[in-house]
Amino acid sequence: MKYGITRVVKYFLGTDIAGRQIAVRPDDTFIVSYPRSGNTWTRFLLANLLYAGKPVTFANIEELIPDAEAQSSLHMKRVPSPRIIKSHQYFDHRYPRVLYIVRDPRDVVLSYYDFSRKYRQITDDYPLERYVHDFVNAKLSSASWGTWRENVGSWLAARDGRPDFLLVRYEDLKGQTESELARVATFFGVDPTPALLRGAIEQSSAERMRELEKKEGADWVTTKGKRADIPFIGNASSGNWKSKLPAAAAAEIETAWGPLIASLGYELTQPSELTSAEPEPATHL
Amino acid sequence: MIQKLKAGARLALGLHKPGRNLQVWPDDTFLVSYPKSGNTWTRFLVANLVYPGTTVDFSNIPILVPDPEGLSKRQLARLPRPRILKSHQYFDPRYKRVIYVVRDPRDVAVSQYHFRRKRRVIADDYPMDKFVADFIVGDGFPYGSWGENVGSWLATRQNRPDFLLLRYEDILEDATRELAKVAAFLNVPADPERLRNAVNRSTADEMRKMEKAQSMGWSTTKETRQDIPFVRAAKAGGWRDSLSDESVAHLEAAWGRLMSCLGYELRFPERANSDAGEFLLTGPVR
Repeated sequence: MKYGITRVVKYFLGTDIAGRQIAVRPDDTFIVSYPRSGNTWTRFLLANLLYAGKPVTFANIEELIPDAEAQSSLHMKRVPSPRIIKSHQYFDHRYPRVLYIVRDPRDVVLSYYDFSRKYRQITDDYPLERYVHDFVNAKLSSASWGTWRENVGSWLAARDGRPDFLLVRYEDLKGQTESELARVATFFGVDPTPALLRGAIEQSSAERMRELEKKEGADWVTTKGKRADIPFIGNASSGNWKSKLPAAAAAEIETAWGPLIASLGYELTQPSELTSAEPEPATHL
Repeated sequence: MIQKLKAGARLALGLHKPGRNLQVWPDDTFLVSYPKSGNTWTRFLVANLVYPGTTVDFSNIPILVPDPEGLSKRQLARLPRPRILKSHQYFDPRYKRVIYVVRDPRDVAVSQYHFRRKRRVIADDYPMDKFVADFIVGDGFPYGSWGENVGSWLATRQNRPDFLLLRYEDILEDATRELAKVAAFLNVPADPERLRNAVNRSTADEMRKMEKAQSMGWSTTKETRQDIPFVRAAKAGGWRDSLSDESVAHLEAAWGRLMSCLGYELRFPERANSDAGEFLLTGPVR
């Protein structure tokens, strides 16, 4: 009964978090990714493209590209159409257009480890190997987004190859920011002129975002009340896992998700005997 | 406003049908499929397997293998555990143990066409080609398109011990053999007699008899046209007589890769999509 009253009151006031229950509009576009995969950076890049001339900050990003998992139903309702919405949800068939950002899960887990410390979900001395094990086996709060395989796999299997779905790898966005951002711009109907792209990239640099986080992190919905000594903007690099992730932990991730990791073009440290195999008959699926 | 009040009251009292918002228990098992893929048949097979002493029919199936879209939140919460639940949902990470039944989408399309006529969603003269086009896009299909539903489950769970994939066509070919897999998955003793009895009590003929007697009482059929049966041909390959080449090509262009990976032979393999879903062909390294 208790849950019911709280839910009903929030439902009437519209103060419930929109989240998975968000009322989707046919002209919505979603920026989706697993957490810690470059979603916030992409949000800044895109907002700076769409609203060139207006400096994008943590103070206005929730108005420009709101976070459905942090904002209330009422807030989302008041955002004018066409909306661009940030989301970490696993596949939702109601999302009409999706920009999906994917990142090597071996880097994702390292970033998530720091994020979990920032959110005080684990202590600083929590063993990394154990964290990785929990990450793979859906034992952490991150599992509410599905596991990395579940989130990425559900979207790719359902939507990849369609004109209303754009897949961008974080690593490519990092390595060839201008050409990747041009693809994103085109997907959103923006003419990707070099001047516009460069301006947006400059306004969304890791340095600038770190500066903004220092100034505004205490007020931003995602970082408010969290440990300020651990930054939200991580090291913004790729391949960190090669030096930071214990070999056994990397192997555990690859054992669980090897084929999906390989199919995204990320190299495996251990040979995957199934990855190159011929399709098996259905009975062996 | 009145409607919002009513909905609010139902929410508070737990009288609403939770559907996708079901409260999931860790020991739940889900019997999942896209609609018109043999879910009801499998539901009867499973119920007859698990409850050999009960006469399973349309009057008690909603309690034996309940549907979160058929019972209220309150009823569902009061069911004895562990529950075996029926579902048509696309991927949901909270479903930890899943039996997934898949069927050739060309047959699913034909079956859905007739089910939509039965439910008076489309008229009898609705063109099949037009329906197939709607079916592929999936707009207005609450469980996603066939490709989205099947793909989302396979890509996330395939080759895990807590996921059992069954093909409708394989159950048709040898129901006892396939039900033995279900028994092992559910940890139910699989002696031949028990399996045989469950299969015999769930044949298409038995189910047609029960439908005739009980369709006015079963929530899924009671408000639908009674001149079109719910339990239809119960065959594989009917699409060959019902779909135009154009529709077949259209379906295979959309989902050819996924169909091939499930062992469904394509009529127009050269026109099927080849760029998407490579990772579906292999499961995790074990």
